[in-house]
Amino acid sequence: MLEQELKDIWNNSSQTGQISIETNQLVEELNTKIISIQKKIRIRDNTEITASVIGILIFGYLFYEIPFPITKAACALAIIWFVFIIFKFRKSKIQNTKNSFHLSLTKQLKQQKATMQQQADLLDSATYWYAIPPFIMNFIFILGLGNPSDYNWVNSLAENILPLSVNLKTVTIIGLALFYAYAIWINKRALNKDVKPTIESIEKMQQQIKNE
Amino acid sequence: MGKQKDDKYFEGILERNKYKIYRICNIYAVAPIEPQDLFQEVVFQIWKSLDKFKGKSSIDTWVYKISINVCLRSKMKFDKSNNKTDRFESIHFTPIEKEIDASKQEKFTYLKECISTLNETDTSLIVLYLDDLSYKEIAAVTGLSENHIAVKMKRIRKKLFECITPKIT
Repeated sequence: MLEQELKDIWNNSSQTGQISIETNQLVEELNTKIISIQKKIRIRDNTEITASVIGILIFGYLFYEIPFPITKAACALAIIWFVFIIFKFRKSKIQNTKNSFHLSLTKQLKQQKATMQQQADLLDSATYWYAIPPFIMNFIFILGLGNPSDYNWVNSLAENILPLSVNLKTVTIIGLALFYAYAIWINKRALNKDVKPTIESIEKMQQQIKNE
Repeated sequence: MGKQKDDKYFEGILERNKYKIYRICNIYAVAPIEPQDLFQEVVFQIWKSLDKFKGKSSIDTWVYKISINVCLRSKMKFDKSNNKTDRFESIHFTPIEKEIDASKQEKFTYLKECISTLNETDTSLIVLYLDDLSYKEIAAVTGLSENHIAVKMKRIRKKLFECITPKIT
């Protein structure tokens, strides 16, 4: 009796209002939303790729222009690193765009956990692929900068931008160290504040499902 | 299945299921998210995932899967990007003009209160149960075995009855 009464209460709960849907207009709005989301994803992807391509062009130019061998080697490493970053981001995005809403609750949670775990691994390891390598490359790049006149190198633009004196080198390296330390902190914060709690929530729900 | 994205087909799905979806959204919505926001997110995900429907279960059971997954993710704040979305102009929620039975309304408030004492997964099981889904259908939505659901439902029902009986009798 109580069971049927509860079901009636439940079913009556949606009778307090009416939902009317204009399907033709809705389909247009849904398609617009899909296009808008795809556009945003494309812009975000292109922005990241463009940033890396700009980095490749800058270091490519420096590789060609700068005569100092150690700095040249750092430029080559930087180009390789930028290419690696493009592939790393693309791979992680492909894995993250899987839509799992149509799966059963248990499968959806499993997939959601796998996706979050990938994000956690990416953020957790960012120090070793996103911060330390470019810092080392920048360090080598700066350390390798010598006296342009020793190589008969004349390039006013590069001379004005590059930290050629010891003082400028020290300040730049300290600045870079602080910047990359901040980048590491941002990643760790995102990991501990957002991703880890989400994984814990998913695990908690998986445990709730397992329990009888 | 070329007709899957057919507007009429989609319209049929929504017409049959809109109040069921809304009831689920109404239970899971936590401020600042409103049931209407969740409702339109469910509609959006149905439209987006329609191509993936393979016909292993009925389309209405499949709609439950999407509704539960979307609502649960929103409640657990898994999808921070979907916290608040622009409302679709094509979906209208209109309160019914006739006088609402205060006693029914009060009983629903009690039911909602008692459901809120359950954990997230028990909540999803009880809403499917209250919507009169069979254990087989609940199994299809949740991915659990029918036996497991039967055992869990026994415990959940007991808890719910203990909570609500003194309130509505």
